[in-house]
Amino acid sequence: MIAPVWPALVALLVSTAGVLGLLLAEQQWAVIAIVIAAGVAMLMATRMGWDDRIRRSGGTHARTVSGVAVALVIGMTFVLREHNFALLMLCTVLLTIVAGLGLTIQFGHAGVVNFAGAAFFGIGAYAAAVLANKTALPHPLVILAGGACAALIGSVLVLPLLRTRGHYAALITIAFGILFKTFLEVNDALGGPQGLKVPGFVLFGHAFNDPIAIDDETEWSFYLAYAGLSLVIAAAAYVLVRRLERSWIGLAFDAVRLDETAAAAFGVNVAAWKIAAFSIGNFLIGLAGAAYAMMTGFVAPTSFTFGDSLILVSIVILGGLGNALGLVPAALIVVLLPEKLQVIQEYRFLLFALLVIVILLVRPGGLLPRPMRDYSAGESR
Amino acid sequence: MKSASLSVALIIALAGLPVQAKDTVRIAFIGPLTGGVSANGLGGRNSADLAVRLRNADAKTPYTYELVVLDDECKPNVGVQVATKAAADNGIVAGVTHYCSTVAMAAVEVYRKFGLPVVVWGAVLPDITYASDYKEVHRVNGTMINQNEAAARFMTGLKFKRWAVIHDTTDYGKGHNKYFSEDLAKSGGQILGTFGVTADQQDFSAELTKIKELKPEVIYFAGLTPIGVRIRSQMDKLGVKAVFQGTSGIVSDAFIEGLGPLAEGVVAFREGAPAEKLPGGRVFLDAYTKQKYPDDPEAYGPFAFAATTLVMDAIDKVGPDRKKVRAELNRTRDYDSIVGKITFDDHRQNAVPLITKFVVQDGKWLVWEDSDYASGKRALVKK
Repeated sequence: MIAPVWPALVALLVSTAGVLGLLLAEQQWAVIAIVIAAGVAMLMATRMGWDDRIRRSGGTHARTVSGVAVALVIGMTFVLREHNFALLMLCTVLLTIVAGLGLTIQFGHAGVVNFAGAAFFGIGAYAAAVLANKTALPHPLVILAGGACAALIGSVLVLPLLRTRGHYAALITIAFGILFKTFLEVNDALGGPQGLKVPGFVLFGHAFNDPIAIDDETEWSFYLAYAGLSLVIAAAAYVLVRRLERSWIGLAFDAVRLDETAAAAFGVNVAAWKIAAFSIGNFLIGLAGAAYAMMTGFVAPTSFTFGDSLILVSIVILGGLGNALGLVPAALIVVLLPEKLQVIQEYRFLLFALLVIVILLVRPGGLLPRPMRDYSAGESR
Repeated sequence: MKSASLSVALIIALAGLPVQAKDTVRIAFIGPLTGGVSANGLGGRNSADLAVRLRNADAKTPYTYELVVLDDECKPNVGVQVATKAAADNGIVAGVTHYCSTVAMAAVEVYRKFGLPVVVWGAVLPDITYASDYKEVHRVNGTMINQNEAAARFMTGLKFKRWAVIHDTTDYGKGHNKYFSEDLAKSGGQILGTFGVTADQQDFSAELTKIKELKPEVIYFAGLTPIGVRIRSQMDKLGVKAVFQGTSGIVSDAFIEGLGPLAEGVVAFREGAPAEKLPGGRVFLDAYTKQKYPDDPEAYGPFAFAATTLVMDAIDKVGPDRKKVRAELNRTRDYDSIVGKITFDDHRQNAVPLITKFVVQDGKWLVWEDSDYASGKRALVKK
């Protein structure tokens, strides 16, 4: 039986409405109501078997559903066109998802640990800052170069990472993250501890930092342009990761993660695939960092600490390790909620941490655990 | 009849209402409430909150104020985020913002873009006000520039003429060296040699031997306590006889503990003053204690209080309109506050910020004016 398309569409519509509500919520009770509603919906979905139906319908009608998803996000940015802050948060969520996608390939698919996510994000950001300040390179290329720099500098770590496993590999990436931050702080050419200004994104003569004037009365937020940029990057990264996952490359990644010895025995080049996963992942993280730096207009070492790396890792784990789709709710929770809890000031991280623990208690495999590979009819293409 | 008298009573009651109901005006406070420097952020937050409470308790003021408190975590990316939140919200008229310099540097662009007038209450980097010319950005606390200007003027006033400079190669040390050297040249002092050292250097005999040959009267040290302690004790071992002059980085108990009697007669300068030494400090501290805040106001609390009061006075005067408030703040001149007079220069930097001179006497940092050195009982240079 072919699964109907409507469960996935309903799920998409409901979650879009929820996200939009959360982005626009000003009052504390509204935020709490939305969070509770989302929690209840999550529980119901698990209990009544909805999530299974949604997954099957999404898998069967993958193209329609992704098309509708993109259309809904575009619609959402349009609704928010005059809300600067909500758009900034939306862009931050989208770019965090891109960084999370990079970590998903590393942690979730090939099993390469990376506790220096924020450092690679920072490499992309600083590369964008330097290239946009010092060269006339077109800005789309600057963002790509940010990703390339992250992948390139990451290759320094390849040798030690291939020689170590588990905790030791984790330690190497942690050390790299700390090294990166210290290097920035003592390096005057890169602004030292005070950081660097980054010029805004310019595409074909249109400066993204200018508000979009519609007529004399209405002005659309300049973040609308950044939202478009972030959406393009996020969609492209998502498609890339999903395609990789479904392809023979993804199979090789999985084999390397599950059992290196067995994989090697079957002729899978373990080292090569680890390097590939690590580099592709870092490229995506650097890409996100470059775009983020151009959007916020400022980079400084304190934004790229070990703590920030842990937050990125926690997004990947909270979403369900290895499931690209799980990043969306996880990034929303980790990026948006602390912001929406500003009202409780210094206690907000306390409440936020409690919430994350509760989520993992209820769903130990993350919000949306990675499903089994399913090559049955319908999902192909 | 009954209904008529009732309606009359109603009309009277309604007419009376507008007098009591004041419009609520929202102003933002931004500082680090979580993370490593949260003590300073919380102290600033409480002080700003205190200013708002005192204002709201006063029945004569035209508006009721609401303080919107946002946490910047001392991270520039979060700073840009919360600055956008405050600045993009048209209901917020002005802001009292930032303790961390990097955050302020990132956020001033946002205030500029959205036209939100802000008063910086704690960040000290000169560039925040001087690197750009944004009419939105004001600052009540002093900068490195002010500290060194005061230091140079004071020390040349004591008839010292020849300096040697040792600075660490961080932003802090380099910045201080730059501004002190400029100001000293203006005040007529002479620098015989400048030595950059790394922040974790252990041995300074090379630098100090050179300095000994130069025979300076004063060694100016720009850096933090740990290497300050090392340099001062190695000066003694090598027999370098000069007054040791430091920056805000050595005004700490650890400096005296590390040196013991050798610390005697060391001078240093710091922005601000102990709260009880401020013009309105006692009143501020009493009011602060009365509110039973769980944290101390810390060094910059009084500045947050003064900045908040300044912003509310401007709004009281011209109404809750960003452009008018900006113009009013720009015009601030000889404004009385608990940190002394506030006058903004052409970059909206408070031109008469408070710098306190400290000297070590009998194992304690004393304010210069209270010390035996000022009264002439002791001398920095032993005859």
